[in-house]
Amino acid sequence: MKSKWLFLTIAPCDAAEPWQLGFQDAATPMMQGIIDLHHDIFFFLILILVFVSRILVRALWHFHYPKNPIPQRIVHGTTIEILRTIFPSIIPMFIAIPSFALLYSMDEVVVDPAITIKAIGHQWYRTYEYSDYNSSDEQSLTFDSYTIPEDDLELGQSRLLEVDNRVVVPAKTHLRIIVTPADVPHSWAVPSLGVKCDAVPGRLNQISISVQREGVYYGQCSEICGTNHAFTPIVVEAVPSKDYGSRVSNQLIPQTTGEAEAEMKE
Amino acid sequence: MAEAASPNSPSLAEQYFVKEKEEKTDAGPKPTEFKEVENPKEAATQEAAVEKTVEAVDEKAVEETPTASEESSEATPPAEEQSTDPTSDAPEVSSDAVTEQSSGNTEEENVGDQVSAQETPEIKLETAPADFRFPTTNQSRHCFTRYVEYHRCVAAKGDGAPECDKFAKYYRSLCPGEWVDRWNEQRENGTFPGPL
Repeated sequence: MKSKWLFLTIAPCDAAEPWQLGFQDAATPMMQGIIDLHHDIFFFLILILVFVSRILVRALWHFHYPKNPIPQRIVHGTTIEILRTIFPSIIPMFIAIPSFALLYSMDEVVVDPAITIKAIGHQWYRTYEYSDYNSSDEQSLTFDSYTIPEDDLELGQSRLLEVDNRVVVPAKTHLRIIVTPADVPHSWAVPSLGVKCDAVPGRLNQISISVQREGVYYGQCSEICGTNHAFTPIVVEAVPSKDYGSRVSNQLIPQTTGEAEAEMKE
Repeated sequence: MAEAASPNSPSLAEQYFVKEKEEKTDAGPKPTEFKEVENPKEAATQEAAVEKTVEAVDEKAVEETPTASEESSEATPPAEEQSTDPTSDAPEVSSDAVTEQSSGNTEEENVGDQVSAQETPEIKLETAPADFRFPTTNQSRHCFTRYVEYHRCVAAKGDGAPECDKFAKYYRSLCPGEWVDRWNEQRENGTFPGPL
């Protein structure tokens, strides 16, 4: 296919693309809500822009000094003053209501999550802990996620966005992500999932998401965390939930048997 | 009463939710778990949450509120723990697995759990439930409270008491491993700041 017809494809866009102006495609109801709110607000924004531009251009046109050297001296008009006070105070209300509705619904944990994943920010990599399957305080499924250096990239991989170990989550399942750092403030942000959560030392921030379709979602650190801030990307891979079960047990069993062998040797 | 009413008239959240979770308000293991929840209350060692949810159910028996769904999720783990003996284990655990798994792979999970309920806990998709004491984004205290609850439970019931397992599961799900290691160290040194 010629690349100029590439825009006709309907493959969802879950990573940043060059010169991108719009949003990445939504994969969670949260992101869908954010995009819808953006469009709602843009309606009012364009309305105001057109109206104010008209007043401005009209004033410049009619009161231009060669055309109208002595400006009119209108100092008072009750009707127009009432109108220009009331309408601008109603418009923010129309913006605020959907905005607050979205804000509070994003915060709310509606149902009990099925999985808790801990995303721990480090300088400069991320550690993910899947501790739902632990039978002791020993971590059974923990891995570090480092960025892939530019020299090691393979064809088709995105620069500064790929990591060696992706976070694997089941699709269409309610997830709880606990975001915390181990050193300085970090942030866990994935645009397609509508998530941007700061990681504050000594504090566990919870975000509740439900990825609606399988795919690979990219994000970057969004809090200046040091020199390699630009090199701590986030990659979330959503798989069907039955594949998730086998994937987790495959990752778990080698580790636990490895530990058992180590104990045997001791 | 509440158990009988809630499956017939699910709350709004349950109505909008995907099928497999809705089965959580299954009437199956409910009577046993109700009894189970009251036991720790008599022993006066459990935290306020379980008691509160039990009271809430007594008072608001018919109306379906968030507490009703909270109660069902809060009270489900004891039913599972209570059945530690292998005879009564298989049916209850499998029903639990049905609620937790997606409908696609219920059958194979069912068989797997009946064969070895304790060996394959990693397949089960379950974690610490949403706790109405900690409704905010900040879950630091949720993790801390669960950790304290577990160790108070162990102190009261003795080491390896099966009713404490759920608290262990909860705090392991919520707390970063680093925090747990630090707190374990502090407990050994007697410098743990929490009420143990």
